[in-house]
Amino acid sequence: MSIVAGCDVGSLTSKAVIMRANKIIGSYILKSKPKPEHSADAAFKGALAAAGLSVKDIACLIGTGYGREKMEFADNAVSEISCHGKGARWLLPSARTVIDIGGQDCKAMKLNSEGHVERFAANDKCASGTGRFLEVMAKVLGLEISELGPLSGKSKSPITLSSTCTVWAQADVIKYLNSGEPIENIGAGINIAMAKRVAILANSVKPENDVFMTGGVAKNKGVVSTLEKLLGMRIKKARRADPQMAGAIGAAVLAHEAVSSKESWTKGMEFN
Amino acid sequence: MQVFHDVAGRIESRPLLDWKAQGKPIVGYTCSYLPAEVFHAAGILPVRLRGIETDGMDIGDVYFGPFICSFPKCLLQLVGKGKYRFLDGAVITPGCDSMRRLDECWRKAGKDYEGVLPGFYYYFDVPHKAEGHGLQWFVAEIEYLIAEVEDYFGVEITDEKLRASIAEYNKGRRLLEAVESLRTAESPVISGADAFSATIAGAIMPRGEFTEQMAAWLEALEEKPPIDNVQKRVMLIGSISDDLELMRLIESQSGALVVSENLCFGARREGRPVDESGDPVKALADHYLGASICPRMYGKYKQRRALIEQKIEGANVDGVIMQNIRFCDLHGAENALFERDLEALGIPCLRIEREYGPMIDRGRLKLRINAFLERIGRRKRNAG
Repeated sequence: MSIVAGCDVGSLTSKAVIMRANKIIGSYILKSKPKPEHSADAAFKGALAAAGLSVKDIACLIGTGYGREKMEFADNAVSEISCHGKGARWLLPSARTVIDIGGQDCKAMKLNSEGHVERFAANDKCASGTGRFLEVMAKVLGLEISELGPLSGKSKSPITLSSTCTVWAQADVIKYLNSGEPIENIGAGINIAMAKRVAILANSVKPENDVFMTGGVAKNKGVVSTLEKLLGMRIKKARRADPQMAGAIGAAVLAHEAVSSKESWTKGMEFN
Repeated sequence: MQVFHDVAGRIESRPLLDWKAQGKPIVGYTCSYLPAEVFHAAGILPVRLRGIETDGMDIGDVYFGPFICSFPKCLLQLVGKGKYRFLDGAVITPGCDSMRRLDECWRKAGKDYEGVLPGFYYYFDVPHKAEGHGLQWFVAEIEYLIAEVEDYFGVEITDEKLRASIAEYNKGRRLLEAVESLRTAESPVISGADAFSATIAGAIMPRGEFTEQMAAWLEALEEKPPIDNVQKRVMLIGSISDDLELMRLIESQSGALVVSENLCFGARREGRPVDESGDPVKALADHYLGASICPRMYGKYKQRRALIEQKIEGANVDGVIMQNIRFCDLHGAENALFERDLEALGIPCLRIEREYGPMIDRGRLKLRINAFLERIGRRKRNAG
């Protein structure tokens, strides 16, 4: 059985996954380095070490993410939109709508019955609605990004951010902090603002059940629960693996499909 | 061919400078509704104004503010920087409200920056209906324009001269039609970027030279083998675009070729030949107002959709990329309708919003185009 890999170099984090027989046997995640090729290299080597393998054991590796074309060891590059769709399907086979919130962009995808992306929308304007928005806000509050989500559950009176422009929202947050507003109300307001931006995007692809979230923000309970209310739909959780790994998983699944469907594997072949 | 890429790639291109060196006048214009033949008949070089080579927005933003299409802002930026000082005249057309505002912003900039307002500065109105009174109005507008050009430049624009200019422009139109049939063929021999550079050059170069170069290029194409590995036949439509880099970005993706477009800098502008019999002003009015319809015209959506569907079928298009400049209400709204209607017919569509300018959104656009082409590729494989 061939061993395949997927590597997703994002703007904030880089992820790699090693798969055998459609099962993850090693994975690695790290904060992205300034050069995408260095991030890819570190993520891939980390995942190989976790699986106890070496480069020569890998039959095919697909790269994705903004650094997808900078991976010298990759056999091909596929857009993160296709990979997140594929990864979401692997994580939750019933997924028909995928919302992926990455470090610098946010995407909503509608999958067809075979799990292929049939329609997608991505943020066009700025950082609001992306992981970077939460990162900036967490920094202003002096918190780790993982600490933002639970604040929603503690707040009884979330603040309303007048603008979801990251810079203006940051100014608003500082104003609330200075006026002594409890931190849980500010955190909950940030999560609501984020969810509102994402809901606009998700609605533009006409979401259908099951809705699934990938990317790091899927771990923020405050954003997820607000988004559920705004969409009027439940957002399913992944149990098979970390939803932040969805892009890398999708890339590895595509690598697996390519190797399985082709007797002779050719570097650079098209398999999108 | 190279001359077309040179002309399409920069503002002060060689043919334009040669014309100026001969002491002959140049008039810039902003919209595909202007009958360039009027200037050709007067011995003036009509040049479609472009915002390429913009490297900042310190002038454009001051006059227009942030919430408006970036095309007129780029034009004004270049005007303010003196890039269009070679113009003897400029004609502004209300292609949309943002372009109408260019008229007043340029006038004001003319007071703030010495020498940037050409001596001949004219507002050429275009009605929003192509029938009945609208057409009569447009005929009158062309007559006013002719009178103003005659008066300012001291020339006479006779019907005979207009007919000769129409005939000269028609030569180019027929050659462009031949190019269109080559790019839409089952095995295209030319890329979208090559075809687009030729149509852009047609709006800039002296027309006689353009016709000669086109004829030579078409002759050379007879020997050219078809382009390899064309797997995804794409159509590009939407807002104003004269950016070869966007075309190249699409075609740089594996197996993708832009086999058709409907852009006002491209195939839509030239259209079919103008009627050479009868009253030349009426013929120009019929052609420019009636044939080159864009979403600024009232009640033409169904006609435009039928044209797009016809082009999709004729060029065997696999998917349509619809781009619009941010804040372009006309194309933004129309693209949403096109997407709804074409997707219902099973034609994959991608809507992208972008800024006018030298491909500042490259990474973002590349991801979307990439994913869209992957969708087309999958679809074709499943169908095949």
